[in-house]
Amino acid sequence: MKPAPFDYARPRDLSSALSLLGGNAGAKVMAGGQSLGPMLILRLAQPEQIVDITAIDELKQAEISGDELVLGACVTHADIEDGRVPDVSAGAMRSVAANIAYRAVRNRGTIGGSLSHADPAADWVSVLAALGARVTLRSVSASRQVSLSEFIVGALQSCLQPGELVAAIHIPKRSATAHWGYVKACRKTGEFAHGQCAALIDPDVGSARIVIGALDAAPVLIAKPAELFGGRVDADYKTRFDPRVADRLLNEAGVTDAVHRHIHLTVLKRALQEAA
Amino acid sequence: MHGRIDQHQASGQGVGARLPRKEDDRLMRGRGQYVADIRLAGMQDVAFVRSPLAHARIRGIHVPEAYRDRVFTAADLVGVNPIRAVSGLPGFKISEQPVLATDKVRQVGELIAMCVAPTRAEAEDIAAAVVLDLEELPAVHDMLQARAPDAPLVHEHWGDNIFLETNFEVDISAALDAPIKVSREITTARQCMAPLEGRGVVASFDHRLDQLVVTTSAQMPHINRNGLAECLGMDQGRIRVISPDVGGGFGHKGILLPEEVCLSWLTMRLGHPVRWIEDRREHLIASANCREHHYKITLYADRDGKLRGIDCEATVDSGAYSSYPFSACLEAAQVASILPGPYVMPAYRCRTFSVATNKCPILPYRGVARTGVCFALELMLDLVAAEAGLEPSEVRLRNLVQPDQMPFDNITNKHFDSGDYPEAMRRALEAIDVEALRARQRRGEPDGRRIGLGVSIYCEQAAHGTSVYSGWGIPMVPGHEQATARLTPDGGLELRVGVHSHGQSMETTLAQVAHEMLGIDVGNVRIILGDTAMTPYSTGTWGSRCAVMAGGAVATACGDLGDRIKRIGAKLLQQDVADVELIDAEVRGPNGSVTLREIAHTWYRRPQDLPKDVDPGGLDVTSGYKPQRDSGTFSYAAHAAVVAVDPDLGAVEILDYVIVEDGGVLINPMVVDGQIFGGLAQGIGTALYEEMPFDGAGQPLATTFADYLLPGPTEVPAPRLDHMETPAPYTRFGVKGIGEGGAIAPPAAIANAVNDALRRCGAELMRSPITPHRVVEAVIAAQGAGRAAA
Amino acid sequence: MSTLALTVNRCAVDCRSEPRTSLADLVRDQLDLTGTHLGCEHGVCGACTVLIDGVPARSCITFAAACEGAAVTTIEGLDDDEIATELRAAFTREHALQCGYCTPGMLVSARDLVLRLPDADEHQIRIGMSGNLCRCTGYVGIVRAVMSVIAARRARGIQPVVGGGRAILGPAGSGHGAAKADLRVASPSAAASVTAPRPAAAIADFTPAAMIEQAFEVQHPPAQVAALFTDVAAVAACLPGVALTNAADPNRIEGEIRVQVGPIAAQFAGVARIERAADGLSGRIIGTGNDRRSRSSTQGEIRYRLKPLDAGRATRIDLTIGYTLTGLLAQVGRSGLVRDLARRLIDQFTGNLERKLSGQTVMPAGADQHLNGLALLLGLIRARLPRWLGGTTRR
Repeated sequence: MKPAPFDYARPRDLSSALSLLGGNAGAKVMAGGQSLGPMLILRLAQPEQIVDITAIDELKQAEISGDELVLGACVTHADIEDGRVPDVSAGAMRSVAANIAYRAVRNRGTIGGSLSHADPAADWVSVLAALGARVTLRSVSASRQVSLSEFIVGALQSCLQPGELVAAIHIPKRSATAHWGYVKACRKTGEFAHGQCAALIDPDVGSARIVIGALDAAPVLIAKPAELFGGRVDADYKTRFDPRVADRLLNEAGVTDAVHRHIHLTVLKRALQEAA
Repeated sequence: MHGRIDQHQASGQGVGARLPRKEDDRLMRGRGQYVADIRLAGMQDVAFVRSPLAHARIRGIHVPEAYRDRVFTAADLVGVNPIRAVSGLPGFKISEQPVLATDKVRQVGELIAMCVAPTRAEAEDIAAAVVLDLEELPAVHDMLQARAPDAPLVHEHWGDNIFLETNFEVDISAALDAPIKVSREITTARQCMAPLEGRGVVASFDHRLDQLVVTTSAQMPHINRNGLAECLGMDQGRIRVISPDVGGGFGHKGILLPEEVCLSWLTMRLGHPVRWIEDRREHLIASANCREHHYKITLYADRDGKLRGIDCEATVDSGAYSSYPFSACLEAAQVASILPGPYVMPAYRCRTFSVATNKCPILPYRGVARTGVCFALELMLDLVAAEAGLEPSEVRLRNLVQPDQMPFDNITNKHFDSGDYPEAMRRALEAIDVEALRARQRRGEPDGRRIGLGVSIYCEQAAHGTSVYSGWGIPMVPGHEQATARLTPDGGLELRVGVHSHGQSMETTLAQVAHEMLGIDVGNVRIILGDTAMTPYSTGTWGSRCAVMAGGAVATACGDLGDRIKRIGAKLLQQDVADVELIDAEVRGPNGSVTLREIAHTWYRRPQDLPKDVDPGGLDVTSGYKPQRDSGTFSYAAHAAVVAVDPDLGAVEILDYVIVEDGGVLINPMVVDGQIFGGLAQGIGTALYEEMPFDGAGQPLATTFADYLLPGPTEVPAPRLDHMETPAPYTRFGVKGIGEGGAIAPPAAIANAVNDALRRCGAELMRSPITPHRVVEAVIAAQGAGRAAA
Repeated sequence: MSTLALTVNRCAVDCRSEPRTSLADLVRDQLDLTGTHLGCEHGVCGACTVLIDGVPARSCITFAAACEGAAVTTIEGLDDDEIATELRAAFTREHALQCGYCTPGMLVSARDLVLRLPDADEHQIRIGMSGNLCRCTGYVGIVRAVMSVIAARRARGIQPVVGGGRAILGPAGSGHGAAKADLRVASPSAAASVTAPRPAAAIADFTPAAMIEQAFEVQHPPAQVAALFTDVAAVAACLPGVALTNAADPNRIEGEIRVQVGPIAAQFAGVARIERAADGLSGRIIGTGNDRRSRSSTQGEIRYRLKPLDAGRATRIDLTIGYTLTGLLAQVGRSGLVRDLARRLIDQFTGNLERKLSGQTVMPAGADQHLNGLALLLGLIRARLPRWLGGTTRR
């Protein structure tokens, strides 16, 4: 298995990368290449040109800006796992990063690449949606910010327009009173999850962001989370969780197979139980 | 014999020594030489155009003008014969597998054209540019549907899809009135053997020797040469097959590949070396698969759990073609002969079908039919136990062949050679502590998981020879196994054997056997294998036979060499040969000793000092070996598994695993342990992870290691291992074959444990692998049934 | 081809390679460092693991070009390495290898674990080694060997190194090379010279592997709705990404549909025909197409049934859409991803059909911009069917 031929460019700055992308509809951005690489090798993806963005320093920065952490798209899972970037998630992101695929993959796989690939079973897709993250998308002509749930459109499908790339991820600071729970069900260590739930719950202010991932389609951000807890989110949310409501929501989200629904529901239940 | 073993154990190198391996260093430094590592001047790469469809008529193959001289199809292969692996069993239908498809393709991945270029990437570019015009035909991918009268036909002229049907019956009517009768359908999934290294072929032509040289990652190079000579219509002397370091076999590399024939033809056509290295996608979708069985089985027993009989209809999905040399029917025919297991069975009926489908041919995989048979029989025994109200292990203890019955000829005329089967089971039960486990089950788990205990036991015919294989009538019948033992001029020992080593540690264990016979330091023993030009003919490495057969051959050759050494030594010591001994690589007499080095020096460099009547064969002996009785050794093992099942997520965790195994006398216990550990890991794969699914059109769906899941370090526990060492009565040193055993019993033990865990919620799983989805499905179904009943 | 400078096993090397050449192929084929093994070429098995700038990475899915200026260490470069030497002794003592194929990658990953892991915790070692598959040993000896080396080193007072010593951000191996000019490769021209054969004249019936049902209502009588289904081209054009190449015969059309999911793009060229019941109130469109590049083919059918509502003033439209897929694209194991794509396509198809019947020409909200035929589709709608009016309701 070897890839079809492609042209290759490794620009040094973002504007060069954007003009390459803007000028060629057949160009594809590559960061660490840990998802795109296999697809190229299998010849499932056959872009005319690869624009390698890993030489762009601007995309390899991490800084706290106001109340949020801004990560460049080329920050790796290992950078987060090892604590080489600041943390605003009270450790949540570090433990998520440490359980993505395998160490050798984490040393090259990037947060921006993972999001752009939009695999519904990927960790960051659900985790960052639950953390309320936003992404900055850049093209030659524009820069825009979208929320994670707007960003992922479907399985392997983001809202990226031709010529556009993910430049940065903005993660808001986790409130001191917020609980965090994340559970994924994998058949074996490091493999694609078949059940996944991330929950950020702040009983003090009555808010909850609950994301169910590893569906065949885009992850589901539960629109009215209070429904899951009999109408309000408060300190008793764990005991007031109503699985029947969750079951209905999953059904509405297209999880019609009873076995799949049971597994997703169990993962959701456990993410809530685990939240702390 | 045993006195000898004790004597050399002192040196820590002979039979029984836990000796570190001679082969490790080069492998750990990246200096192993696997087929993809071979570099030949002018070599080009080959990529194949393969069928995207499971069943289709080829209307056309369109090759771009620019690539006309780089693409070859069946039309080019004039004079090349199809692969035919015929069985002599009555009623067997013959499949002819063209090495490149001619009119039809019968499986996804079947070879249609070969493309050659300086690099693999460019060869794949060419392959991608070849356009196929295929007329899709209805495909049959389900073996039970394939048996139906209106099924699409894989080979039209057969009139049905049955390679072979067999019937075996002894007295089944006597069992039918038994008070306990349990029936089930049991299924094992189609698998891939998935050695970490795939197949690969480098072909070149040696004009000096007028020889085609085929380097291939193979377990049985001499058998590959047979097959190549038949397909290419060449004299065997004009073909040399080399198998270099091999990155795991497990049965997958015991087949003649169409790719080997293609590359052989191609190098002769093009005049330069060519190579093809199987990639993982090719391996998973296009190469041989294994293990897919279906059983419709009924067990009959008395109220006390005593078995009265088995009635079974077994179907094996053999895929589209009969693979060379084991054929499409070995697996199913073996099911019929081994289904009664290690038990006393008064009545038995088994009907088997080897069925052709539009899928890869199947090959025997570690354990061959035994893994499926053990799964089916041992799951059924648990159901008998439940009916009889007994501990599952108790039913086994009441029915196993007892030690005082050994040797025992069972209902299918298998000759169980030795051992104490109940003792293995008792030791396993003691180690796992059944009572404590049952108490823990009653208490329940704080995390809501359910604990289960499962046991299984099997006996495995290994190293079986001429008398068994001549009956199958397949292209390969093992006879005497030979070895060449040669002393080098400086007193080192070269051993040449026709079997191969791809993880089995033969470079170490055969050196230990040589040490046992000659006392030579294993560091001075060099093992040469994997080359038809340098080794005696052998059917190769399969069927847990190497330790018994090659070990016996090396012992025999070294023994004969030792006699010649002693005769020369005695002359040098001026003693009668009856008065000298060969100990610790020296010939010792009453008046002194002479070393192997001195003896070798005399033969090669100072022949003037040799006795007049010296054996002119010199210090180079080829001898053959066959056990006194070649119906096989019967190693056996009891496995016990404790699992925790999460009924809501379907996850199965193995908490404890015990194996009590009897492999006869162990040449190197460390190596035996390693074989059992590795077999267990593969058995866990069969039980819980590995499956090659197909869609309705016969498209394979697990085409990467992200879909076809191999167990990793977190999925395989370290088992507790206990050895019994009952010497085999008919083999050299009392050795039994054990290479496959580790992979036979785990699926049954684990499935029984899962079913034990889920019994109280009424769920039952009768199919491997036991995936989270299947567990949750069974639990939900049982809950539904429970509600309906209430 | 381009030149590429990097350091391999402490030696500076200059290589010429194509952009598509993996680091594994580069070290194996150009530098004859064949200890780096390929076991899967998709990043799962770990046999190809090497050190890039001191940390382990998959050389099979890392392109050599992306490692410009990096320091690469293969198993051959660890001959004299202190940790690797200790690991080799432990591996042979614990019988941690059999066929040896996974061993080089195993040692590279184990070395990293020895460096980083605070103590010899068996569970952590198993997790840490989970990216390296071994088919022979059952991992027993491997885990024991790694445990023993970690325990011995910590006992000697050697502290773990967080992150294996890496201090900079970004993918291992990145950030060394100066900006490169855009590398062009000659695209294989011959490949383009052969066109895919059209499927045969007969469009065979088939049993769909997947079926999706949809229904909606329009405020128009069934006869009017039935009229739309006489225009195959108009209906086909409701499928996003469709471009018709020949619609002269209303009962048999030729065209292409381009679909894209993530980085995967396919272009199915094919034919379709329509069958209608005598009353026009039911029928089906059946088609078949091939994507030459992925050697995949698809068959699809759209069955429709029109039911009068509201005393014949409105119509309920039931659609049953079935398809099969064969070839490379079908063999992507996670078939749920293909199902999601099909579902999204069909959602858009029914949405478009609904809008067309309603006379709307607006761009549907949230439409998938990647379905490149959309603009063409909208053009067709505007040109052919401007006058349907009235509200619709989804069921």
